[in-house]
Amino acid sequence: MKIAYYPGCSLHSTGVEYDISTRKVCDAMGIELAEVKDWICCGSTPAHRCDDLMSVALPAKNLALAAETDNLKEVCAPCASCYSRLKFTQERMTDENLKRNVEQIIGSQYPEDVRVLHMLDVIVEKIGTDAIKEKVVKSLDGIKVACYYGCLMTRPPKVTGRQRFENPTDMESVMEALGAEAIDWNMKTFCCGASFALTQTDVVLELTRKILADADSAGAQVISVGCPLCHVNLDGRQQQINEKFNMNLKIPTFYFTELMGLALGIEAKDLGIHRHLTKVEDFLKERALA
Amino acid sequence: MKIVDQKNITVDRSFAEEIAKRSGENVFLCYQCKKCASGCPSRMFMDSTPTELMRYVQLGMVDEAMKGNTVWFCLSCQTCSARCPQDIDIAHVIDTVKIIVQEKKIKADTKNERLFNWLWMKILKYIGRMYEVGLTGMLNLFTGRPFKDLPLGIKMIRKHKLRLLPSIRKPFATMKMFSRAKRLKK
Repeated sequence: MKIAYYPGCSLHSTGVEYDISTRKVCDAMGIELAEVKDWICCGSTPAHRCDDLMSVALPAKNLALAAETDNLKEVCAPCASCYSRLKFTQERMTDENLKRNVEQIIGSQYPEDVRVLHMLDVIVEKIGTDAIKEKVVKSLDGIKVACYYGCLMTRPPKVTGRQRFENPTDMESVMEALGAEAIDWNMKTFCCGASFALTQTDVVLELTRKILADADSAGAQVISVGCPLCHVNLDGRQQQINEKFNMNLKIPTFYFTELMGLALGIEAKDLGIHRHLTKVEDFLKERALA
Repeated sequence: MKIVDQKNITVDRSFAEEIAKRSGENVFLCYQCKKCASGCPSRMFMDSTPTELMRYVQLGMVDEAMKGNTVWFCLSCQTCSARCPQDIDIAHVIDTVKIIVQEKKIKADTKNERLFNWLWMKILKYIGRMYEVGLTGMLNLFTGRPFKDLPLGIKMIRKHKLRLLPSIRKPFATMKMFSRAKRLKK
């Protein structure tokens, strides 16, 4: 099975291990990823905050490039923000006036029939939990996972088309297929603050603290995420949160693809897990996963 | 108590109409149920709630809507838009207020967001993909705190999570798109 792959900027920088683990897992599960040629940034959040037209034109350009990639009709984006912008664009392009303007900007036709999926959709829909169970080599037996979705994987439902946008359960089903125990907790769709980390760090520290503290009190041993920005905040800011709020948090935060890779028997080093900013080595050793 | 004759109360609809024209959202559908305010994760930082903001727009209270910090603390998490019983895309209304402030260069306490957005779009225009080190470096420099998050940044560079140099592919493609958009807006 072949699917167009739009990694986005974060997966080439701060979320490089998400890119590595996604490719490894897809390879192991028999899914071929064809990277969109010459893709550009989707504009992410700053674009729709300052330039309405470009915030639609940039993802539209990427959709047009994706449609040219081996004539594939489906494109997957692992980054929640890219996924959201591509989906938003599809919703906005029902406006004929806007569509005409955007086509003029991108210099080509806008493809109507490309389907946008998040990486989690690819895993759940194209592979399925049964097929994952069959391939598990090292079961994550007894590991308590808090599945964190953040904002843009599920919201707004008008755009993402998701039924369970307040309490999504797809990641939980994947984690349970890997043998882990998905815990109940309150913050799975709460915002981490995202790019405010650069402009107003205090906001991010406060919101991320709430998420980490809730996961901790619910008994989570690891957090599983599907967004590179959530990962940077949850993984990278733990030390700053501990210093600011006088706490002692040490919750390893993994991309769900990394946890899948570990369960499928792929070496932690090959998944890029050593690049995490919060120490995970002790946890991996303890669980005999490293 | 001051008594105001009802005839003397005027509501300026032009602001709401501009928002509607730009975003397609009808703010008059809002009946102040406060669902957006209750769910907003950034509420505790704001001067007034998203619900109050909707009222400002309805009543044409332009200064309150634009110069307060409410819109500048919006995280674009889409909680309000997802939960609105009247199906108003509140986050889009907030974005539209921000865009008007930035386009008309109105003075407001934007919490450095104007600069952040400007840098982001410039990098995008000339490089085509995000260049995190350049973005953070320039942002920290221009806001007068050049060493902010430096230890974290060094750690990330060591782990190969940040590239020191930008990856320039086809810069003319994005530059062309931006100039075509500029022409269209005129």
